[in-house]
Order: sequence, then C-alpha cells, then structure tokens
Amino acid sequence: MSSAIKLVPVQEAYDDLLNRTLARIPCDLGRLIYLASTRDYNTGNYYHEGLANRFRPEVARKALEIAHRQAFYRLSAFSLESLVSDLEAYLQSTRENPREFLRAWQKLEPYRVAIPTEVNLTVARLFTSNLRLALAILHYRQAQNHLGR
Amino acid sequence: MIGTTTALIGAAVLLVLILVWVRGQSASRHLPAVMDEWLTGQDDLPEACPPEFVSQIFSSRDFEFISRLESVDLKRLFLRERNAVALLWVQQTAATIRRIMRHHLEASRLSADIKFAMEARILLQYAQLRLICGALFLLIGLAGLERLRWMALRADKLTQRIGNVLREFESGARSREMDGVQS
Repeated sequence: MSSAIKLVPVQEAYDDLLNRTLARIPCDLGRLIYLASTRDYNTGNYYHEGLANRFRPEVARKALEIAHRQAFYRLSAFSLESLVSDLEAYLQSTRENPREFLRAWQKLEPYRVAIPTEVNLTVARLFTSNLRLALAILHYRQAQNHLGR
Repeated sequence: MIGTTTALIGAAVLLVLILVWVRGQSASRHLPAVMDEWLTGQDDLPEACPPEFVSQIFSSRDFEFISRLESVDLKRLFLRERNAVALLWVQQTAATIRRIMRHHLEASRLSADIKFAMEARILLQYAQLRLICGALFLLIGLAGLERLRWMALRADKLTQRIGNVLREFESGARSREMDGVQS
C-alpha cells in the first residue's frame, strides 16, 4: 500500500516531465542529452527546478532517473539508419555549424556522459559504438556532398 | 580403417571442443576493468542483456544499411565496432552465468533438499552455455555475426532459463526457511 502511494506521485511527475518538457524537444537524442544534463556530475543526483517545485525533490529525482534510463534504452534500440536520422535532427536543432559539430563530437565523444548509471554494460557499449558509427556516416555524407559540388 | 578414421575425427572434434572451452574460460577471466566493477557492484543475481539487444547485435539489418553506402572504410569500421560489442556480450554472458552458478553452489550447500534431476539439468545447461560462449568467442570475426545469430539467441535463452530456475530455487528455499522458523 505504502509503495503504491509513493509510486503515484512519481508517475505524475514522470507524465508531467514527458508532456511539458520532453515533448518540446524534437528528437530522441536531444531528449537523452537534456535528461543527462539534469544530473549532477559530482553526486549523480538528478535535479529539475520546475519539477521539484511542483512535486517533491525526491519524487522529481526519481522521475528524471526513470525517464533518463528509458530514453537511453529507446535510443540504443534504434537501427543505425534511424540513429543517423535522429542525430541529423539533433544537429539541426543545435543550429551549430555541422562540420564543427561533427569534429567536436567525434573527438570529444560527449555522448558518453549521457549514459545513465546502472544500465547493462553491453547496451552501453552498443550505444557508444552506434553513435560513433552514425557520426562517421554523417561525416562521410558531408564529404561526399562537398565533392559533388 | 573406418575405426581409425572415426577415432581421428573424434579426437579432432574433442580437441576443438577443449580449445573452445579453454578460450571461453580465459576470455571471461580477462574481462575489462569496467566489467569487474560491473560485477562487484551487484549483490543479487546479475541481469542478462535484454534479448532484443542480443538480436540487434547479431542482426544483418545495420550491415545492409552500411553496405548501401558503398564505403570500404565505413564497412570496416562497422565490422570492427560490432564485433567488439558482440565479444563484450559473450564475455558478459560468460561472467554472468559463472556468477549465477557460484551463487547457486553457495545456496545449495546450505539447502537440505537437493533434487538430483534438477541439479543435473542445470549443470548440463551450464556446460552447454559455456561451450556456446567459447564457440562464439572463437567464431566472432571469422564467421560473420548474422551467421552466429542462432547461437547467440540460444545462449541468451539458456542464460535466462538458468537464471529463472535458480531464482525459483532460491525463493523456494527462502519460503521453506520461513516455514521452518514459523513452526
């Protein structure tokens, strides 16, 4: 009974997060990066001011943690083709120079910090491997376009 | 003459099986540091990789997509990356199953009613799984992932099955303990 009482606000906070904040982000990779950015690098705890004010901070933390893990598994299950499209949509949403973006992402691999804690090790490796491949594909396409001009 | 040929073939098969087994053993022993951390961080029975991801790693869908791009470098990169993921999965599976069995041995040492048939079945499945892991470790990179898909799915199914049987065994032992305390 007590666990049911605890779970309902987490579900409410989760739905709120999904409908208000995440729905505005146009791609899955963007949602994952956003959720990872709500995690404190030093403590690993999640924090979202609006959500913590509407619900309790620990409820908001749990909802963010669940949403982060779900976004990660969803994106990891993408085919390479879908991931390339999603990465392209993310690139466009950042409005950065595509060449600079690709160079920075290939060199720094910032997507590594987007992996939630306590996920399956093989899935985490598949995720980084697929993103590395998607970046290489976009880079290749960019070079082909450049040659075509 | 036929007897000698059969014996030679038999010996060769046995030798290959032993090699596969030894390679599998050493593969799971030489795990990356991150795997050690992953294993020590788990007090309960470890979770295996979700089956949909096993299917994805060994599927031909992504390779077909890469092939359409007609780039040798991309194809090479893909094969290197995907083989590395597949090898990690084999290592993780071998380590998971070893840990599950160790957990089970500790539990059965304390248990009063051991069922011989069940123990024999678990041991047989364990041996089969170790053999498949060894074979996969040897064949990844040689045979191509999509050809090994059925073996990977079989290994995954066996891991889930052994994990479930042992979880049931443990919960049964726990409830018997509780009954003993109550009576």
